[in-house]
Amino acid sequence: MAVFSPFDIQARPNRLLAQALSCLLFVICIGLYMQTSISRHRVNSEDRVVPNAAQLAAGIHASILEPAEEDDYIPADNASHWELLRHSMIWKDTASSGRRFLISLCLLVPAVVLALHIGLFPWFGAGFLRFVLFFDKIIALSLLPILFIVFGIDEWSKIALIVIGVAPTMILDVTQMVKSVPQEQIVKAFTLDANNFDVAYRVVSRQVMPQVINSLRLNLKPMMLFLFAGEMIAASDGLAYRIAIMRRHMGMDVILPYVLWVAFLLFLIDFSLRALNRRMHPWFQP
Amino acid sequence: MVSTLIAPHTETFDAPAVPASTAVQIENVSVSYPVGKKTRKTILENISLDIEEGEFVVLLGETGCGKSTLLRMILGQERPTNGRILVSGKPVERVDSRSGYVPQKYSLFPDRTVLENLVMGPETSAYHILGRLRPGFRAFRKQVREEAFRQLRHMGLQESDAAKYPHQLSGGMQQRVAIGQALMMKSRVLLMDEGFSALDPATRTSLQRLLRSVWSELKPTVVFVTHNTMEALYLGTRLIVLARPNFEDHCGSRVVLDMKLPASGMSLRSNGQEFLDLVDHVEQFSRGDRHPQPSLNGESR
Repeated sequence: MAVFSPFDIQARPNRLLAQALSCLLFVICIGLYMQTSISRHRVNSEDRVVPNAAQLAAGIHASILEPAEEDDYIPADNASHWELLRHSMIWKDTASSGRRFLISLCLLVPAVVLALHIGLFPWFGAGFLRFVLFFDKIIALSLLPILFIVFGIDEWSKIALIVIGVAPTMILDVTQMVKSVPQEQIVKAFTLDANNFDVAYRVVSRQVMPQVINSLRLNLKPMMLFLFAGEMIAASDGLAYRIAIMRRHMGMDVILPYVLWVAFLLFLIDFSLRALNRRMHPWFQP
Repeated sequence: MVSTLIAPHTETFDAPAVPASTAVQIENVSVSYPVGKKTRKTILENISLDIEEGEFVVLLGETGCGKSTLLRMILGQERPTNGRILVSGKPVERVDSRSGYVPQKYSLFPDRTVLENLVMGPETSAYHILGRLRPGFRAFRKQVREEAFRQLRHMGLQESDAAKYPHQLSGGMQQRVAIGQALMMKSRVLLMDEGFSALDPATRTSLQRLLRSVWSELKPTVVFVTHNTMEALYLGTRLIVLARPNFEDHCGSRVVLDMKLPASGMSLRSNGQEFLDLVDHVEQFSRGDRHPQPSLNGESR
């Protein structure tokens, strides 16, 4: 058995032990949670702050198989599980949050194209770069009152919040990537009789695409953050709206599954983007 | 024998008509850039050269003497502060397909396979970005692919290499493909910037041999930048040495030696001691030892 010496850089822990160690913190967290839950339930068997397994199960059941409180959908007696799921609270919230998220993701595409131009075409750089640098420093959330006035308090103000929050950073990031494409590549393309658009869209954009996707992966969390901020302030549905509502009457049995569900969704998007990146760009050497 | 080889290559730069056989004309080119408020640093000073069609010119010089700058100006990537440069009789304004280019690094598009790299030139020049949607494109592409496979074999690669990405090839292989890629365009001028400097000696020799054979077959005009004297003497038919007369800022590099080499090329093996003497002689110039016979100072004033 390998000697356990945490401060040895050259240590070679054996595989099984390393695996076990990586689970340790999870186990401790769950253990602490359970301990707290049990002790609180001993004092008050109806405690809602740290729900026990039965309460959590009920909360999960309520979120995935029962409609939201504000909905007046009454399921037929013989409704299937699928039918119930389709009208459930979590489905509804995920759909509306996801819609906002996807629309803002699509709106980032023109931002990336703009960034490509800023990095590559000197006139675009001259026109846009300084303004984007300035705009990047504005805290998007501080614009929220203006956004509410301009876009109204429903969908578009939240989407605008996400785009305004993430796009400038993304533009600056992609501009840097475009600028770091070796000059030789661009010169070479021109000697191969490429025109400006060939160079932009068939040489440079192809080369930065894997980095752009990686940058997007890093920006998923800020996007989600802006979405949640928007939804918590003004919304009538959505994942963050539900969490905000549940907080009012300490509905931890619903909040905790929601938190884990959002984390899982983000992980899933990140993972699929990474897989897509590997599949599409086998030549990419990070 | 040495003295016959280094007979100064005389020329006048007020030649009125451009002869059709002049591939690259460099007319009184100077390059300088401002440092500080009043002083300017001069890189190149009054360079005038006529490069004939089909010549293999090697630009030799120490690091920082401006030989790469000169090449980039022929390419159109940089502009001279004074003077002008003509390629195939027309002034160079921007990078275009008049000259092929093989840089030292990043010579291939990393996101394209070897075959895609080779067909890139003819494809883009015939069908630009949206032209690829036109009906003739597929037939054209097939034809170019066949040519690319021919070029691939010619450069000494196997057909199984066609589907590989550049990062899967060794440095020497990459440069082989890069030369092939430039040749696919059939441009008459080939510019190479330290093309083989990053390679190990054995690979380097085999690529030098390849380049020689390509040159003697197609006779393109080659401008090859290097800091390796042996390589210069082996490859070129004309050797141009750039060096600065002293190290003050206002003095730029000039042509300190301009000589013809035998078209069959020179090597240590075939020319023996004579080759080594010549290497010494040339290196004396490029180091800037300023006391050889004045008759050898081709262009310097």
